[in-house]
Amino acid sequence: MRAWRVWTWSHRVTAALFLALLVVGSSPDLAFVRGSTTATSYFSLIPFTDPLAALESVLAGGQLTTDMVLGVGLLLAVTLALGPVFCGWLCPLGLVLDLNQELRRLGQRLLRGKRSPPPATVSGPGLPRGLKFMVLGSLLGVAMVGRLPVFSAVSPIHTITRAAVFGADVALLSVWLLMVVEWFLPRTWCRSLCPLGALYSVIGRRSLLALRIDPHRAGQSRCQRCEVACPMGIAVMTDFTLRSASRVDHPDCNRCGTCLDACPRSVLRLGFGHTDMAHDSLDKTKPPGGVTINGEQSSGEASLQAPARSRAPAP
Amino acid sequence: MPAPTRRQLFFILGLGLGAGMGLSAQASDRDGHLRPPGAIDENDFAGACIRCGQCVQACPVDCLSLSPSSAGLLAGTPFLTPREAPCELCPGLDEPACIAACPTDALRPVDDWKDIAMGTAVVNPDLCLVWQGVICRSCWHACPFPDEAISLGEKGRPGVHAEVCIGCGLCDRACLAEPGAIPIVPASQWIAEPAAPAEATPSTAAPAAATDAATDDEAPR
Repeated sequence: MRAWRVWTWSHRVTAALFLALLVVGSSPDLAFVRGSTTATSYFSLIPFTDPLAALESVLAGGQLTTDMVLGVGLLLAVTLALGPVFCGWLCPLGLVLDLNQELRRLGQRLLRGKRSPPPATVSGPGLPRGLKFMVLGSLLGVAMVGRLPVFSAVSPIHTITRAAVFGADVALLSVWLLMVVEWFLPRTWCRSLCPLGALYSVIGRRSLLALRIDPHRAGQSRCQRCEVACPMGIAVMTDFTLRSASRVDHPDCNRCGTCLDACPRSVLRLGFGHTDMAHDSLDKTKPPGGVTINGEQSSGEASLQAPARSRAPAP
Repeated sequence: MPAPTRRQLFFILGLGLGAGMGLSAQASDRDGHLRPPGAIDENDFAGACIRCGQCVQACPVDCLSLSPSSAGLLAGTPFLTPREAPCELCPGLDEPACIAACPTDALRPVDDWKDIAMGTAVVNPDLCLVWQGVICRSCWHACPFPDEAISLGEKGRPGVHAEVCIGCGLCDRACLAEPGAIPIVPASQWIAEPAAPAEATPSTAAPAAATDAATDDEAPR
């Protein structure tokens, strides 16, 4: 564990800056940003459109405009290249719920005294991950038949932004409620309910940027700290590291990097491509775990990922 | 793709569930807000509006507000409260700023200011001071299209030509009576009223239903 949780605080600060940009940038004096997270316009030039909100709008009777195509295209391109980074690095609700977990840890420490047990992320209670696809499906169903964009209207993500940009609002109640619920069911919104996350997880699963596993160290470290740290509750070690997968391709991985801060032996790396791992600190007395470099370069990828994928909780 | 995964099953299940919920949502009536210039038909508007608030920020006279979350599924949609802040037809601009800002097609471009059809002003003779013998032409003075949208008839009584009136609400704000004697009926409700006068003659005595609806709508939400 690194002394400074660099990744954890990097994604938090990024999300905070993103929200601050919307609020400060849209103030009458500056006014170079307009809108909220459903659809934003930067410098009246760069559009930024929530793909799910746009989908709802089109299904509910709207027409696809150039702004929407460009704005959605921008986010889709980013997601295809980098994965669901909106969830991990930008989402205002994600930031609130992430910090809420710090509160929860603090609360647990106060209640139980001394050191709190590791947060129940891995095997803790939770709703099925697939539920978010049901939420996604029903939103699209309502949009098509009922002609109403429910997600744009009441989703806590957009409610937070609208409250921040246009003034506080009673609906923040839903956010407070969610925060309380997540003291008992950690990050249940992101893991099991968020329809936008469901959409991004499908689009970003095969992205170029991913959590990579050092083949030389995979299978040696069994501390499970990455699993405990993962906000999305992904069994990083059990399902991927020990199985010598070359990358963590769990659809819920949003590239937040929290596991990297937890990893004591740099087994994990967030990056592009599988080569160029830093081997200088590798303990050469021990045999490489799991897989050889050759195996990984040739037919390794497909065959190694197969078991990992079948074991991964099918969302 | 091989056999459907659990995620696909969940998705299809949700789709059916949502379609069912959508049927009931469709039946429920929608609110009669006064929408910004260029707004498409209220039912389509509620669907197409992406609830980003760009129109609200673009408005040079700050006449638009965003519906709060208490508005339920209409939360985040823009509306006007003309008695407090009417549409001032963007002084100095060629086209409405809100329409230019809208990223969806919920607000559609208009060729001319007169093509805007947010709603229609309706004179309430029971409240209008002219009917009580006062000499007043505040609404006529405030109207961007005097003698076209509002004309003064016999004894100086104002009458609204519904086919010209764009529903900007400048007359509503200018009206000296309290409560205002010339409220704006939103386009969605005007069309919905079967008794709405369609003839070209100035409508002084509007149908009671339409006036009631307008007064109800007056309360800021």
